[in-house]
Amino acid sequence: MDFGFGEKEERFRTEIREFAKENLSSGKYWVMQAEGQTDDDWAFIMSVSKKLAEKKWLTLAWPEEHGGLGMSHIQRMVFEQEVGYWGIPGTTMGISGTGWVGPSLMIFGTDEQKKTYLPPIAAGDEDGIWCTGYSEPDSGSDLASLQTFAERVGDEYVINGQKVWTSCAHRAKWMWLAARTNRDVKKKHDGISLFLVDMQSKGLKVNPLRNFVGQHMFNEVFFDDVRIPAKNLVGVENNGWGQLMTALSFERGMAVCASGMMKRMIDELTEYSKETHRICDPLVRARLADMSMEVEKLALLSQEAAWKAERGEAVIHEPSRDKANMDEILDRLFQFGVELLEGYSLMDPTHRNNRWIRLKGMIEQCYYFVMGMAVAGGTTDTQRNIVANFGLQLPRS
Amino acid sequence: MDLALTKDQKMIQKSSREFFKKECPTDTVREIRAAPLGYDQKMWRKMVELGYPGLVLPEAYGGSGGDFIELALLMEEIGKSIVPSPFFSTIQCALAILEFGNEDQKEKHLPDIAEKGATWSFAHTEQHGRLDVSGVETRVAADGDGFVLNGTKLFVPYASSAGRFLTTARIETGSMDNSESGMVVFLVNAKADGVQIETIPTVACDDRCEVAFKNVRIPQNDILGNGEQGATIVDAIIQHSAVLKAAEMYGSARAVFELTVNYTKERKQFGRALASFQVVQHRLVNLLTEIDGLKYLVYKAAWAFSTRNPDRLLNSAAKLKANSVHAAVCRQGMYLHGAIGWTEEMDIGLYHRQTRAMDFDGGASDLHREQIACELEQRTPLFKQVLD
Repeated sequence: MDFGFGEKEERFRTEIREFAKENLSSGKYWVMQAEGQTDDDWAFIMSVSKKLAEKKWLTLAWPEEHGGLGMSHIQRMVFEQEVGYWGIPGTTMGISGTGWVGPSLMIFGTDEQKKTYLPPIAAGDEDGIWCTGYSEPDSGSDLASLQTFAERVGDEYVINGQKVWTSCAHRAKWMWLAARTNRDVKKKHDGISLFLVDMQSKGLKVNPLRNFVGQHMFNEVFFDDVRIPAKNLVGVENNGWGQLMTALSFERGMAVCASGMMKRMIDELTEYSKETHRICDPLVRARLADMSMEVEKLALLSQEAAWKAERGEAVIHEPSRDKANMDEILDRLFQFGVELLEGYSLMDPTHRNNRWIRLKGMIEQCYYFVMGMAVAGGTTDTQRNIVANFGLQLPRS
Repeated sequence: MDLALTKDQKMIQKSSREFFKKECPTDTVREIRAAPLGYDQKMWRKMVELGYPGLVLPEAYGGSGGDFIELALLMEEIGKSIVPSPFFSTIQCALAILEFGNEDQKEKHLPDIAEKGATWSFAHTEQHGRLDVSGVETRVAADGDGFVLNGTKLFVPYASSAGRFLTTARIETGSMDNSESGMVVFLVNAKADGVQIETIPTVACDDRCEVAFKNVRIPQNDILGNGEQGATIVDAIIQHSAVLKAAEMYGSARAVFELTVNYTKERKQFGRALASFQVVQHRLVNLLTEIDGLKYLVYKAAWAFSTRNPDRLLNSAAKLKANSVHAAVCRQGMYLHGAIGWTEEMDIGLYHRQTRAMDFDGGASDLHREQIACELEQRTPLFKQVLD
């Protein structure tokens, strides 16, 4: 048993920290938001993407033939941990490009699709920004019940329906879309297909949805006779559910990045407690200790999936276990954070340059954001169902 | 990074698991607990023959030079099978002697532990009921070519049969203003004149005793370490004990969890298994997550010891997590069993009876919270190291 990292990983870690120092030392810390609140934020995020692309870090997990570095699961984990700790933005190309659109196309895409769509993602170009169209008003955790319909008409598909909670749709050039292509099926999981949709298509409308503190991160997307070329189908028609499961499996490992971010927060909250002398309060000490212990625990747990993948072992329930735990710890951590800030926790975190803001507003930002995180990528309770069924092999409820 | 066990680690895990499964089924645990000693001397002799007490002691002192992870794995198996034995209390003292003892002390005592199964116990807690040194009132005074010891220790495990104690005392020249000054640790022969031992009724049946020292004479060379190094030694004992006890608690919690999962799969109500109800499933999943997390905290802390670079924050995190998880899985496990879980015929209660003793040994939760807070307070955070 060896919890240490090799020389290669340690060197990589140092390089990432140098990158962070060079590009983020001006007090910029991006916490859990890929889209940026303002156009200025977005321009900054894209500029970091470009720099990451130059180092090929944007696609470090991709094979070399597609412009990546073919890095190991352990190296990717190191990268994610550091991205979380340093708050390095722009690593995802919208919300999906590097994470699952690219890797899915490598498996299911045609040669033309690979040639067209992979290079802009790898290059950190505006044309490589992707959003993902899964959820619908009546299809949340029960994703397979989705109803947005794509009908084959000649050399085109005509799409009608609605997607919702679509993160980054207002920034993205492309959508990775799951739609129904056959309604006449015994099992709802059959008759689903995946498509690549140009966000500028006629009949496609993006309507902003603001969260309860007025931040714009996700959207509604309406499809009214949106026509896309038939060649934008991914893989085999009606066979999309299996492909979608593969794509979802690339969405794993959120807890690795989150544990890095939480370690940063423990460090920030400790420093804040020292500067304000709150560290002398035994209650503050006890709560810091409890949270630090939970974060250490999650950081260690979240390494297991990467290690298993590296060994070629099946990773089944571990990412779900870690996501559910991550949700719970985030909730507790930022509850503690705002209680520690007391009066200053009243601040609106989007005004991060206001003279009364503390810790760059990141505590309040996260405090209002964790409810969104708990839903993204599968709700906490849905993750628990997965662990119950596949991890503990409990009978179906 | 490699989370897999090495060949040696797998071997000790497998052999000890098989040994305890055969020698220490739960019926045997019940019999042993009903007897006054708190352990079975025949089983203890077999553990000694297998080399368990000498597992991490150097070969020069009759041990087999294993690493700290192997010892943690052995503790895990002891926890899984709720093995009643003076193993932990003896190892606590052996590791302190190995680290702080002079050559004479090591040569005299360590082979006795490794090869002959001499049992020791850490006699430290007093009326304040805690592990930290601030409450030590036992006094020691220089007297001719030795010392005289006076005071009373409480909750000393397996004390009626212990051959020797490691005990803490305050030397009379030391100032009482500083709770850490003037602390001395002694090796005390349990058979010495003036040592009085009386059993305290406790729930875990691990022969916890009140040990009174009344004018006990101690030779000069039975001081451990360099004189008034007592606070440092107690801290070192807390550090390794926290990890080893947490390893045992992890094994115990895992066993309770398995009992509970199996029960909820078998027990049917409303025509279906309890485990098919989502409300039950989520409770089990939450416990699983904490138990898995505890495992990695323990293993990483043990690994850090094995690299001779122990991590104080991790040691405390492991014990703090163990304290909450062990109690939680025992209580939740009982609730999930329903009324039957509360009866003495079910094995789950055998585990839960140990909860309080395990929580106390190696440090209670608030002690470790404070240790983590100290670590956080003292270190320069990474972001300052890199960005400033």
